[in-house]
Amino acid sequence: MSAVLNDPAVGRKPLIVAFCCNWCSYAGADLAGTSRMHYPSNVKVIRVPCSGRINPMFVLRAFQRGADGVLVAGCHPGDCHYSTGNYHSRRRLSAFKRLLEFAGFEPERFEVRWISASEGDKFAEEMEAMTAKIMALGPNRKMRDARWQSKSLSK
Amino acid sequence: MPRTGVFICHCGTNIAATVDIDKVVEAARSFPGVVHAEDYRYLCSEVGQDLIKKAIKEHNLDRVVVGTCSPRMHENTFRKAAAEAGLNPFLLEVANIREQCSWVHRDIAEATPKAVALVRAATAKAAQNDPLEAPSMEVEKRALVIGGGIAGIQAALDIAEAGFTVDIVEREPSIGGRMAQLEKTFPTLDCSACILTPKMVEVAQHPNINLLTYSEVEQVNGFVGQFDVTIRKKARSVDATRCTGCGICHEKCPKKAPAEFEMGRSTRKAIYVPFPQAVPNVPVIDRQACLYFQKGRCQICAKECPAEAIDFEQQDELLERRYGAIIVSTGFDQMDPSGYGEYGYGQHPDILTGLEFERLFNASGPTGGKVVRFSDGKPPKKVVFIQCVGSRDKARGMNYCSKICCMYTAKQAILLKEKVPDARSYIFYIDVRAAGKGYEEFQRRAAEEYDVAYLRGQVGKIFPENDYLVVKGVDSLSGKTIEIKADMVVLAAASIARADAPVVGRILGINSDSYHFFNEAHPKLRPVETHTAGVFIAGACQAPKDIPDTVAQAGAAAAKTVSLLSKEVLQGEACTAVVNQAECSGCLYCEAVCPYGAVSAVEIEERSAGGTIKRTVAEVNAALCQGCGSCTAICRSGSINLKGFSNEQILAEVDAICLQC
Amino acid sequence: MAEQISEQIIKVKKVVSQDLLSGRIDLLLGWEKGHFWWQSRPLFARSEEDLERLVWDSFCVINLSRYLPDELKENKKIGVLVKGCDARAFNRLLQDRIVERERVILYGLPCPGMLDYALLIEEAGAALKGIAERNGKVILQTDEGEKELLRDDLLLAKCRHCLHPDPVVYDQLLFPPLGDREELEHFKSVEELEELPADERYAYWEKELSRCLRCYACRQVCPYCSCLECFVEQKSPRWQGRAYQPSENFMFHLVRAYHGTGRCIDCGECERVCPVGIPLMELNRKLIKDINELYGHYEAGLDPEQEPPLLTYRPADPAAFSEK
Repeated sequence: MSAVLNDPAVGRKPLIVAFCCNWCSYAGADLAGTSRMHYPSNVKVIRVPCSGRINPMFVLRAFQRGADGVLVAGCHPGDCHYSTGNYHSRRRLSAFKRLLEFAGFEPERFEVRWISASEGDKFAEEMEAMTAKIMALGPNRKMRDARWQSKSLSK
Repeated sequence: MPRTGVFICHCGTNIAATVDIDKVVEAARSFPGVVHAEDYRYLCSEVGQDLIKKAIKEHNLDRVVVGTCSPRMHENTFRKAAAEAGLNPFLLEVANIREQCSWVHRDIAEATPKAVALVRAATAKAAQNDPLEAPSMEVEKRALVIGGGIAGIQAALDIAEAGFTVDIVEREPSIGGRMAQLEKTFPTLDCSACILTPKMVEVAQHPNINLLTYSEVEQVNGFVGQFDVTIRKKARSVDATRCTGCGICHEKCPKKAPAEFEMGRSTRKAIYVPFPQAVPNVPVIDRQACLYFQKGRCQICAKECPAEAIDFEQQDELLERRYGAIIVSTGFDQMDPSGYGEYGYGQHPDILTGLEFERLFNASGPTGGKVVRFSDGKPPKKVVFIQCVGSRDKARGMNYCSKICCMYTAKQAILLKEKVPDARSYIFYIDVRAAGKGYEEFQRRAAEEYDVAYLRGQVGKIFPENDYLVVKGVDSLSGKTIEIKADMVVLAAASIARADAPVVGRILGINSDSYHFFNEAHPKLRPVETHTAGVFIAGACQAPKDIPDTVAQAGAAAAKTVSLLSKEVLQGEACTAVVNQAECSGCLYCEAVCPYGAVSAVEIEERSAGGTIKRTVAEVNAALCQGCGSCTAICRSGSINLKGFSNEQILAEVDAICLQC
Repeated sequence: MAEQISEQIIKVKKVVSQDLLSGRIDLLLGWEKGHFWWQSRPLFARSEEDLERLVWDSFCVINLSRYLPDELKENKKIGVLVKGCDARAFNRLLQDRIVERERVILYGLPCPGMLDYALLIEEAGAALKGIAERNGKVILQTDEGEKELLRDDLLLAKCRHCLHPDPVVYDQLLFPPLGDREELEHFKSVEELEELPADERYAYWEKELSRCLRCYACRQVCPYCSCLECFVEQKSPRWQGRAYQPSENFMFHLVRAYHGTGRCIDCGECERVCPVGIPLMELNRKLIKDINELYGHYEAGLDPEQEPPLLTYRPADPAAFSEK
């Protein structure tokens, strides 16, 4: 295995994993597409029913596996399809974000945004902005499990 | 290892122009579990779907991944196709390589690797998919309406007209609610009884409507389609099947008690009908007031009743009925303004609430329809109306606007002028809110044609002097202090939730806002649904409302009910939460965060060293669960999981999406 | 001045032996001396004979509430001696529905704090044979004579941080309460870490956590870790990798701390039992501090009726991320 593969952080674009709720933010991301807006391709979306579904362990796993930034996006407070999911996720993820920062993560690495189904432009803008911030920070090495890429690719 | 088939759609050039389809197909062949991969120009077409169905059979596929447009677009199309080929539809996953890939990235070099990553993630997720079944539930074709005011009446009539049986449970001896207390309605000045009474009679006579007055809902179990409801039919002490409504009993009854219908401003008898147009026109004995029940003697009503309908032995009856849907239309209360000491309510008989003043106009009201003062029976010449008493008052009352006060005050000022031509009205207001069809015009008419003085400002103090009430206020427009020697003061006290709304909410498992008004499922898109499937709300139990809005909402709730009852079976949500009870420690945090009351405690028996022990764990009612997954994220041990978006599935997606190629 | 902790045992014994002999409780959870004079270990007393070994001294640090979940499987009614932190631990278990209130009799012991043996030997300077306590002082008996020190200077770190020495829940409080304490620098070390640049903070934790043996003693002793199967041991899904490397160390410790959000009772047991001295309470206190700042002051374990902050919300709640 080459040294580069052992350290996949070298020479690549930042990877942003975006967990989007099905009803607002995923639809907002779709709208960005329907409206032919552009945002960097390093953003990859995982669809979940609600931001309230997000277990912080999913976020940590993404950082372990090589994400340089993680976004959780949900409906605006008050607009949750399930009425209270984002109220709960706001508390959970606020506490978790502070904990992540306390562990030494830069604040920009983990973000939560409220993006409605009509805010395709906001989705694209947020993704541009987050990518730019993370480019400036450079690749994330914190909590990265360097074995993951090489182990999986060698299968 | 699963046998996964991957199908990549060109979508004409929509995908193919920016994604190298061949590369994606080739990459897909190398993903774990993939035994077949191909592409097609339009997968959603008939031919495209057939291609998938054929491949499922030919290659014995047990998982399917399609790389296409958004799952919000065609997930159902492809799942149906998979089902037609004999595959459980939930074994199919969609990789969104159009809206979230080809359409947002500029060139092949950028979009192709991303498409590969998205397809890889969908493949990894699919490998973790389980076959799912949506629960199906039978529907009891009968509706319950709680509260027989105008909202409940309208809803019940609409449901009954659609051909379904509906029961109305009303706590009071008669239906009619608040609207029955009104003299006239804004902005048309229709006589309230004239438009309400025919509807009340229609309810009583409708073959599909059962009226349960003087009754209360005690318990609700079950779920949408099958609510098991316990109703207490309180003892009326009058046999309704015999009573002819002649009225001799209350005419002869010697005992008086404060009349609830008149807010205690006059009296009624111990045996009474609340108002002359009551439906049913069957009296009730108030056992707390009745001499026979309290002291063991009297029985005059029984002696006088020609129909022998008086039944002192009657007992409360508990009815158990099953309903498919429930409409809650329990209405509102008017706030008791005695907390506002400066207004002196309760200290002087001529300081009234809006509703009390309304009753003065009514022929069967406490003054027999004469607008006169309670203190001396003289008609008032100067009446001061104070708006927003307890409304729009963060510090002492309710934050919200009670919505109806501006309009009914204008109405009452007009009515006053008509009854007492030389009377003058003064209205202290914060803002005049007259949004609604014909409302602004109506309010202006009061101000311009009925000599009503609108004073923007607040009243600081009211106190009696000689035989009038001194009202001291400030006109906030001119900054001047105003002093009015009024004959009567009318307080537009806030409309508030019923005192027992929290109890009703708990019985029904529906939640309320901080003022105890019931919450709709979505403020814009689901205004009559609650978070409990099959329970709908109508009228002022949701928020202060006027009659047109209440009737409209009641109609909407009835339509929702009818569409529910017209189904033979209900298809539930397939992606619901499920508890691994062996691992569940029973903390029930999941129950606390569930917006649908779908999680509850259940006791299980478990083998433990040397015997069995009982243990409390969580259980999900799949009929109630809507699949948000909030419970799964609060569960520390992952003992509650969400089908379709399980921990395993999401982690597999994360792992796969992070692989760089 | 209240009677010395060493003199209180007479009353403790009297009360619990009455209840045990009368059958009010089937089992008493208390302490007895361990192999060394500076250790008091759990005592599971079922008879008067067992009770002879009961002690209440300055080394009864072990939280006996933590033994309840297991013991309640085999005993109908259990009596437990609880200090301030143990009582909060009991409330934690109660709120998490791990224990049933009516099956437990709590004997409350206002706690003056437990002594830190490591500090004792450090201060002794010579071979330490034993101690005596008098009027808020501790007399160290060494080979080279006696040395008298203030008791408060010899407490365990967790006791120096203790805000509520008195049990907040009990059936019987055995001695007069000592009163809550104000500890102004409760979050000082958290604040100091917050001041560091992100990279330095990461380096700090990477170094601290690198010592983790994954022995899970912190979890075993923790009153908020009441899962039947901890995420670290689950195989499907495999949340936690087994490797001893920074990524997995962070995974374990961040998730462990996060699971205590709004639930950690601030007893400091995890940090006390950590064999490699990882400052675990800095993670826990960080979450306590943030929850206080964001969603209002909340102390877990004080009142089991008060809803934990992660189980509720207010529509106007603030967020720790910039909402737009």
